[in-house]
Amino acid sequence: MASKRALEAPGEAGPSKRRRAEDGNDYVDEEYHSDQEDNASFVPRGATINFSALTRKLAEARRAKPVDGDETSLDAHRRQQDALVSHIFMDQDFSFLHLKPDHASRPLWISPDDGHIILEAFSPIAEQAQDFLVAISEPVSRPAFIHEYKLTSYSLYAAVSVGLQTEDIIEVLNRLSKVPVPETITNFIRERTLSYGKVKLVLKHNKYFVESSHPETLQLLLKDKVIREARVVSQQTDNSIKAATFTTTKAPVKGNLVIPGTKEAEKKKDETAGTRAGASISGGAADADLFTSIVGVDNDEIDEDDDNVHAFEIDDAKIDDVKKRCNELEYPMLEEYDFRNDTVNANLDIDLKPATVIRPYQETSLSKMFGNGRARSGIIVLPCGAGKTLVGITAACTIKKSCLVLCTSSVSVMQWKQQFMQWSNVTDRQIAVFTADQKERFAGESGIVVSTYSMVANTHNRSHESKKMMEFLTSREWGFILLDEVHVVPAAMFRRVVTTIKAHSKLGLTATLVREDDKIADLNYMIGPKLYEANWMDLAAKGHIANVQCAEVWCPMTPEFYKEYLREQSRKRMLLYCMNPKKFQACQFLIKFHEARGDKVIVFSDNVFALEAYAKKLGKPYIHGGTGQVERMRVLQWFQHDSNVNTIFLSKVGDTSIDLPEATCLIQISSHFGSRRQEAQRLGRILRAKRRNDEGFNAFFYSLVSKDTQEMFYSTKRQQFLIDQGYAFKVITHLDGLEDLEDLVYKTKDEQIELISSVLLANESEADLGTDIRGNEGDLAGTVTSKDFGPTRFPTAQRTTGTLTALSGAQHMSYVEQNKSVNKKLARDAAPRHKLFSRRDKDKATARKEQRAMGRT
Amino acid sequence: MRAIKGVLLTCDSAVKQILLTMNEKDPFVIEDLDDYHLVIKADEEYRVRRELEAELEKNTYSLETN
Repeated sequence: MASKRALEAPGEAGPSKRRRAEDGNDYVDEEYHSDQEDNASFVPRGATINFSALTRKLAEARRAKPVDGDETSLDAHRRQQDALVSHIFMDQDFSFLHLKPDHASRPLWISPDDGHIILEAFSPIAEQAQDFLVAISEPVSRPAFIHEYKLTSYSLYAAVSVGLQTEDIIEVLNRLSKVPVPETITNFIRERTLSYGKVKLVLKHNKYFVESSHPETLQLLLKDKVIREARVVSQQTDNSIKAATFTTTKAPVKGNLVIPGTKEAEKKKDETAGTRAGASISGGAADADLFTSIVGVDNDEIDEDDDNVHAFEIDDAKIDDVKKRCNELEYPMLEEYDFRNDTVNANLDIDLKPATVIRPYQETSLSKMFGNGRARSGIIVLPCGAGKTLVGITAACTIKKSCLVLCTSSVSVMQWKQQFMQWSNVTDRQIAVFTADQKERFAGESGIVVSTYSMVANTHNRSHESKKMMEFLTSREWGFILLDEVHVVPAAMFRRVVTTIKAHSKLGLTATLVREDDKIADLNYMIGPKLYEANWMDLAAKGHIANVQCAEVWCPMTPEFYKEYLREQSRKRMLLYCMNPKKFQACQFLIKFHEARGDKVIVFSDNVFALEAYAKKLGKPYIHGGTGQVERMRVLQWFQHDSNVNTIFLSKVGDTSIDLPEATCLIQISSHFGSRRQEAQRLGRILRAKRRNDEGFNAFFYSLVSKDTQEMFYSTKRQQFLIDQGYAFKVITHLDGLEDLEDLVYKTKDEQIELISSVLLANESEADLGTDIRGNEGDLAGTVTSKDFGPTRFPTAQRTTGTLTALSGAQHMSYVEQNKSVNKKLARDAAPRHKLFSRRDKDKATARKEQRAMGRT
Repeated sequence: MRAIKGVLLTCDSAVKQILLTMNEKDPFVIEDLDDYHLVIKADEEYRVRRELEAELEKNTYSLETN
């Protein structure tokens, strides 16, 4: 054993050795202790253990009588095995963590180094393990069979804030783990969880206070330079040190709270959860109890042993630094809002409409937020199309105080307002909009304001009106601030918003908590911990979002195109790999195939040049930034209602906001480099497919990639987020039957060469992405993906020389529009009704009129 | 006339294009046969293979380089 201990990392060797010496055994886990002796005589052990017996054993472990066995043979066996492999792994040799004899039935393994947890998602108890892991750690990657989670300080804070106890966390981990939980991990958990919740940040009378029931903790914090400087010293006449330092008040008392729309659902859920737990662990009643009591949401309270609360005030402007500093000092500040006992701020009388029913996962996410009857600040992560807006609205309806909603563009402002009107009984007077064009205030004491980040964060060049509006926003206390699409907001802007607006609680909503610049950690102290992250695969399995088949189609470059590609060093390379004739063909083939299946197809291209070329060549309608409002509405109408228009081409404008629930197949031909977010957003376009609940329905997501180009690199990078969510990308190297397609485009070499010359003639600027989109004032840069594309760009004039007679057609010249856009071919209006029907309608109307006249007389 | 020892390379059309661009910098191709075949100098073979490998690697994304 001694030799194995030496293999541990030097820092951890001390405590673990001591612990082991005390136990007189290799394991920290008591429960395992008995198991091990129980089974010591059976070697090889793996073969003798079956699962049903083991689940029982899990529960009975404590009661089981230890049977004396011979340990030496076991030890020798292990030492021998270790010697065989340990040298391969160098510092990552964790062979000192011996597998428990019943490891086959336990689903997870914890890395002692970095707190990564590997879960066997195929294990029979994986579902419960997942519930537990989601509560205590952050999901890293969740493919079909093996999931990876990570224990972080923030995730543990979140776990404590929903009421989990330190020892329970360790206990459950130990039960689920194949190896005894490493000492480093238990220490980490203890360290992080014990300090949590001692310090609170509260907003009282428009001033921020740091509050704690432990005066020593506050003293400790005040010793820190950053925090001391941020403190606002108020006059105190009392002499005693304690009173001079802090103001002391009574601690608030908690009560019961029900989130609207969930009452019945709650009961139902509890029942099903109970039966599920009971069924899967037969005979393991004790186990099931432990799971439900730990994973369940009913049992979360934070100890309030002291009635007296001590507090000191801090400067609004430095609130952020203090929060960050406290996190660093490992006294993270808890931000909770006891909204029901808030008598200072006026109530807002809104509720969900009775018909509104929220889905189970939306409820779970909200119960994490309102777990102890108070509103916790944090972030909720739900996939696109899973109803984030409704979660936000329900939260606002639960808090029932003035609420500020911030989103990324003026178009989403209008959508939020419309959604509020749709789902809740808020009146038009209570909800106001603050954008560049509209500056409204709500009537009455409390209400909802919807605005954009940049309107609120902007510090210069304000009109008089917006200045007054801002004064209105900053002068009052907000009960709740809702932050839409939190992942896109730059940190600096965020900080300004958070410091200027005084809100009791904050909720961030997002679908993709990834940033290419890895600034995600900042959100942890600016808003709060991640409260809930939905599992995409789970939601798909339950029919809340569509099942999607993802595929990457590899299109070889034709030699001519590739030659030019290699020669070109500029941005035009991109144009070359977008316009690859093989890609054209693949696109045509896929559209044809899916239209024949009855799918509605959307084709995405970031590059407008390619978009137009494809759409015109393949004869399909398209929409990009330059498309006029009327034309666009018409194209969308046709796509939604006409069975002859089954495909549309969309530029970046379609990434978000355009709701097309009919679409069931998505093909992307060009995209924004390696943006993982865009990939996820695009997938979101088909997740809300109307037909998602049909038996065996699949939506399709194709990414067309030109082989041997940079696109391959970007494409793999883009997929990472979705892969982590459990999507698998199939690679298609050859489309069967492509060559046999009758009217295949660019079949001959001549046509291909013609295409390449047109590409080479194009301006370099054509290769730019998303050139068609421009934001309105107040939109966040880079996020404009809205229905309203801003001012339309007029095409620039073209100059040619020629004689007037020739140009006017005198020399046998005639004009024909070649390569006409299909948009124009779509009939402007619906065809007038057939005479037969209109006559029948008229007859009916007169008959009705006569009848009425008869009835009256 | 001196004889040059050559090697016949069979490759796909894209790789052939890469080889031809490499050839412009530092000639090694003896004969360009068709879309899939090239004859190159035998003593350059090793270098060509190595450079080609490096070129193709540029378009591969791996988590480590992230």
